Amino acid sequence: MISRANNITIGVLALQGAFAEHIDHLTTAADSLQTQPINVIPVRTPPELDSCDALVIPGGESTAISLIAERTGLLAHLMDYVASEKPVWGTCAGLIFLAKQVVNGKPNQQILGGMDIQVHRNAFGRQLHSFEAPLDFSSFIKDVIDFPTVFIRAPVISKILENAESESESESELTTIISNNTYKNKAPLQILHQLENGFIVAVKQGSKLGTSFHPELVSDTRFHKWFILEFVLRE
Amino acid sequence: MSEFRIKAGLAQMLKGGVIMDVVTAEQAKIAEKAGACAVMALEQIPAEMRASGRVCRMSDPKMIRSIMEAVSIPVMAKVRIGHTVEAQVLEALEIDYIDESEVLTPANKELHIAKSDFKVPFVCGAKDLGEALRRINEGAAMIRTKGEAGTGDVSEAVKHISKIKAEIAEYSKITDENELNALAKELRVPRSLLDEVLKAGRLPVVNFAAGGVATPADAALLMQLGCDGIFVGSGIFTSENPQLLATAIVNATTHYDDPKKVLDYSTDLGKLMFGVAIDSIGDKDRLSKRGW
Repeated sequence: MISRANNITIGVLALQGAFAEHIDHLTTAADSLQTQPINVIPVRTPPELDSCDALVIPGGESTAISLIAERTGLLAHLMDYVASEKPVWGTCAGLIFLAKQVVNGKPNQQILGGMDIQVHRNAFGRQLHSFEAPLDFSSFIKDVIDFPTVFIRAPVISKILENAESESESESELTTIISNNTYKNKAPLQILHQLENGFIVAVKQGSKLGTSFHPELVSDTRFHKWFILEFVLRE
Repeated sequence: MSEFRIKAGLAQMLKGGVIMDVVTAEQAKIAEKAGACAVMALEQIPAEMRASGRVCRMSDPKMIRSIMEAVSIPVMAKVRIGHTVEAQVLEALEIDYIDESEVLTPANKELHIAKSDFKVPFVCGAKDLGEALRRINEGAAMIRTKGEAGTGDVSEAVKHISKIKAEIAEYSKITDENELNALAKELRVPRSLLDEVLKAGRLPVVNFAAGGVATPADAALLMQLGCDGIFVGSGIFTSENPQLLATAIVNATTHYDDPKKVLDYSTDLGKLMFGVAIDSIGDKDRLSKRGW
């Protein structure tokens, strides 16, 4: 998947949100893997984006990130980047940005359409309903049975859109935003983790990864290590 | 601890963003459309509070609720320093963040709210390291340097953020145990908290700059000084074209290190906030002197 044999660059979208935390975690994880040299950089401009072999879209406010991307001329480049099949991982607001549809979004909010999922924004409610829970990810990350996950005003994956031709009707009265990216992710969509109440909180589709929670907020870099091995370095 | 991580975590999601004071649902929508990462719901902007000379309290929950319903970004609201019940009311309202603010008239001249007792996170103002650490020790999950609210003069915000940085750098040189113990005592904070900050070289929570921000260049200046994001109070909605200015301040906060972009964002914004030079305000009239 990565054309260059060495000097890999992972970018973290740095328009707004918790991008510094991802940069720290990716740097620590890359150092501990001791493979080829991996640079981790903040991405604010098209040239910076072009230099990246993989991209992480952090948590933050999804409307702010989308609006800033659009008006600073980065949005079209991000859509192309997603279509290039390079690895992209979105956490929380990043998951919203990566989706094909968003429920409870804002009419002027643009999304990248990289994964065939519908994401429900603020699915758990306001900040008082934010929570932390240890989750068992051993079905996809070896031996990780107790990963500390933090959900902050988090979104969930409310529907898998695979096979369903992009339906525009919404069951609720909340605004549903649909991506206008023409890209179609052809890989099968894989549910990585579902909470006991049925909420889907982690999905993978080909080179794209989406999580509701924030592995960058805990002092545990196993999730970032797994992303580098499974998505960035995978041939 | 895990509860604190959730409180501090929301502040981490706000980083690199702009939090705007709004007094109506309409203004909140303008802020959201401009790309604000959160809004602060209040009845009057600080510039009006400053001029009124009245007692300023928590806003009517009806007004705060109307703003919570109007936007989907996080909503913050202010309570008076030490007013535990105003904070309980806002928690019952399910506000996302409480600002225990010197902009309102203090309700307790000795004690701040015991913020660890709450599930909802708090942001508090600070002028120096000791004040920031005392608030964090009480449970604040986010700090904003005070500046001088309602003036349109950014110099106090610059002073406070520079001071915290300089103090951390200076105290980090101390190696003598007795001296460190004496310092912790002088700052009125536990030694362990002081050690944590000096080791990390920064505050253990997100630190936004506030007070007197009126232009995109003001926001970029504070970001270059190392703060994590910006509060804009009176500046936006006292300007001629709030939507334009709010958008420009958001853009400049993202691209604070790119002068060509900040040039673009600073151009043709119309008439800005009137501004009151800080030197024309006597010590006793400075809001930043409230809090201890």
